[in-house]
This record gives sequence, structure tokens and C-alpha cells, in this order.
Amino acid sequence: MHIRFKSARKEAPMDEPQYWSACLERVGSHGDREAFTALFEHFAPLLKSFLAAGAGQNSENIEELVQETMVKVWRKAANYNRSQSNANTWIYTIARNTRIDWIRKQIRQNPNQLHADDIYDTEPTVTPHSSLIELRNKRDIGAEIKKLPPAQSEVLALMYFQGHSGQQVSEALSIPLGTVKSRIRLALKRLKVALAENELELEAREEAHA
Amino acid sequence: MIERHPDSSFLVEYASGSVDIAPSIAITTHIQFCDQCRRTVESLQSVGGELLGRASSDPVSDDLLDSVFACIDSGSSDGERFESGKQDFIPAEEENEVISELSSTLPAYIKQFLPAEKLKWRFLSPSLKTATISVGEDVHELSFLKIKAGGKAPVHNHKGTEITVVLKGCFSDEDDLYHPGDFIVRQEGETHQPFAAQNEECICLSVLSAPIQLTGIKSVLNPFLSFAPS
Repeated sequence: MHIRFKSARKEAPMDEPQYWSACLERVGSHGDREAFTALFEHFAPLLKSFLAAGAGQNSENIEELVQETMVKVWRKAANYNRSQSNANTWIYTIARNTRIDWIRKQIRQNPNQLHADDIYDTEPTVTPHSSLIELRNKRDIGAEIKKLPPAQSEVLALMYFQGHSGQQVSEALSIPLGTVKSRIRLALKRLKVALAENELELEAREEAHA
Repeated sequence: MIERHPDSSFLVEYASGSVDIAPSIAITTHIQFCDQCRRTVESLQSVGGELLGRASSDPVSDDLLDSVFACIDSGSSDGERFESGKQDFIPAEEENEVISELSSTLPAYIKQFLPAEKLKWRFLSPSLKTATISVGEDVHELSFLKIKAGGKAPVHNHKGTEITVVLKGCFSDEDDLYHPGDFIVRQEGETHQPFAAQNEECICLSVLSAPIQLTGIKSVLNPFLSFAPS
């Protein structure tokens, strides 16, 4: 399998994230079709390759998923809050939930009409004093993610794009589950994702052995 | 103080969408109590957003935007379900034992999974009862467990993985004492005997990936512990 990242990404304006947030807000507040079209033209091709990785080969089905995701983006835009997440992250969670429901529908595992949106909790952390630090941390994720060693980014790509569990990653790469987990911990440390204390101890031990 | 958390790869699986429904509910329940893990999950979703933003662009059909607008304008598709998905789960409060007992302590999130009719409690032992919650998956069984104040659960071991999230009260076993919000994972083959604190009953959310087996003299109870995914 191949996870393709843009090699020569077009130079984005410095305020690109703010631009997409503003588009979402205009869709949410005014049903602005021009803003939505801009979002669609940017995100639909990204969603297509993102969703295709984890959902088989049939491109017609993939476009159905892209369509369903973008329709949800329109319908939920009024709930979008840029202080909680940027447009990439917000649309990512919608795509993830759409994919989960789609996969469950395929294996007829959904008798109760319970959807991924019901399972996940979208309420943000309510600790105002930490929000600035969190915003900074989220920016760091973007800066650090492209610097991850290939072994670590490969594991994350398999999990996020293909929807693999740690066990499935271990099978796909023929490496022990423990190695998968330690690569995850090392990657999260580089991305400055806050971890619980017991995780930090494990990770310190791994660093010592690395 | 919450001391037991899902491990980082479990949280990545959750944020990237590969965890089944019942264990996902257990993690979402844990983050109702644990701001630390809630923040971690938010960051992990930002990782997903960054990866999406860095995916290669795969051109879509020329008419896809029109189809999206057509779908938006018709208001059809499955638009309503976003609002009504939970309607089967709105409980009749006064009839529901757990809700009336726990209305102040149970996270609002978990109430949506309670059945409209009364929970069906089954005794597993004189001091332990359980009620299954149907969430529409066939790999795991999600249930409430209630241990009487001072009560002991039967000694049991695990054929599959058992996740327990403490909702109210405390329980302990040979290893530790667990508080509300603690997320405890027992792997296949581990044997333990949980018991509740003397002064308060303990209520937990439990996710089983295979039947647990009672060991020792109480094995005769095993037929009641039938694995009943729903």
C-alpha cells in the first residue's frame, strides 16, 4: 500500500487555516455557497484520497463517501467553532465518523441507528487557562508531523488513513505489537501530544534504550 | 484521582476510528471524568486533521459538487438522522432504576445508551448484578455492573479482554483500588476478585470481548454469565 503525501505542496498563504475557518463560518451563518464551493474544491480531493485508503478500491463508492462527508459539513457548519478546532481537524472528524458508519452499514452491524456521532463526544475540554497552550500545541503538531522519522509516520498513516488498529499495523508491517506501540509513543512525544503519566514512564524507558 | 487510563495506542485507535462501538463508548465515558485524556484525544484528532491536510489531492468527478448541492437542497438523504439518531435511547426516567439512582453522578453522555424500558438486571452472585446495554455490535458486550457495598464479585478469569470504567463508588482487587473514571483493562487469562468498598455500592461500565469464566466453587454460576452481545 502507498500513502502519498504531497511532495511539492503549493505555497499556501500564511493565513490558510484562518481562511478555511472563515469559509466554514460563512457557510454556518449565511449558507454561503461560494464559501462552500471553495471548501469543496480544496477538501473534496483530499477527502477522496484520505477515504480511499481505508475503504477499498471502488472509486464510485468513495465519491459517495466524499459527498456524504461534504453534505454533513454543510449541515453541521453552524456548530463549527474555530476556537475549538481548525477546519482540517473538524472536517477530519466528520470524515472519520462517516467512514465508521459506512463500514458498519456494510457489515450490517447497525440495528439501533446508533451513529459514530453519538459515540464520540464533541464537547471540548473546559479548562480555559490551558487553551492558549493547547492552541500552541496544535500548531506544533502541524510543524512537527512532517519531520517524523518514516518508521513513525508510516504507523500513524496506516492507522489514520487505512483505519488500522495497532494489531493490524503489526501484521501489515510484520513487526511486533510492542514495536508498533513504542513507535506510537515516540511519535506522540515528538508531536508534543500530552500523555498520561504511566505512558511517560514507558516512553522514558524506551528513549533510554533507543 | 484517576490513575488508570487507556494506553496511547488505544487512544490513537479511538481517534482514528478503528475501535468497535462498545470499547469506544468506554473511552468516551472515561474522558467524561478525565480531562487529561480528553485533551490527548483532541490532539490526536488534530493529528488526523494534519494528515488529511497533507493527503495527496485526488480529483473528484466534475458533477460531484452539483450532486452535493442537490442533496443539500432536497434536504433528503439521511439528513434527519443526525437529529433523531438517539431517539431510541431516550429513557423513561422515573422507570429507570439506574437513572434515578445516578442522575447526579452518571455522566450525561452515558444516559443516551440506556434502554427506554427498564434495565434488565441479572444477579451473577448475591452481591453482583449486571444489565446489558444494546449498542448494535456483535464483538463486544457492553453492560453495567453493580457490586453491593462491601460485596465481593466472584473470582473470575478472562477469555478475552475486559474493560471496566468505574462510574460510581470504588472497588478494589488484589492489585489496586479504583476510583470513578478509572479505566481498567484485564487481558485474557488474568484472574481477579473485585470487591466494593464497605460504605458504598460500586457501579461500573463493563466491556467484554469474550465470556468471563468464574473459577473455583462458584463455577456453577457460569450458565448465567452467558455471553450475550446485542
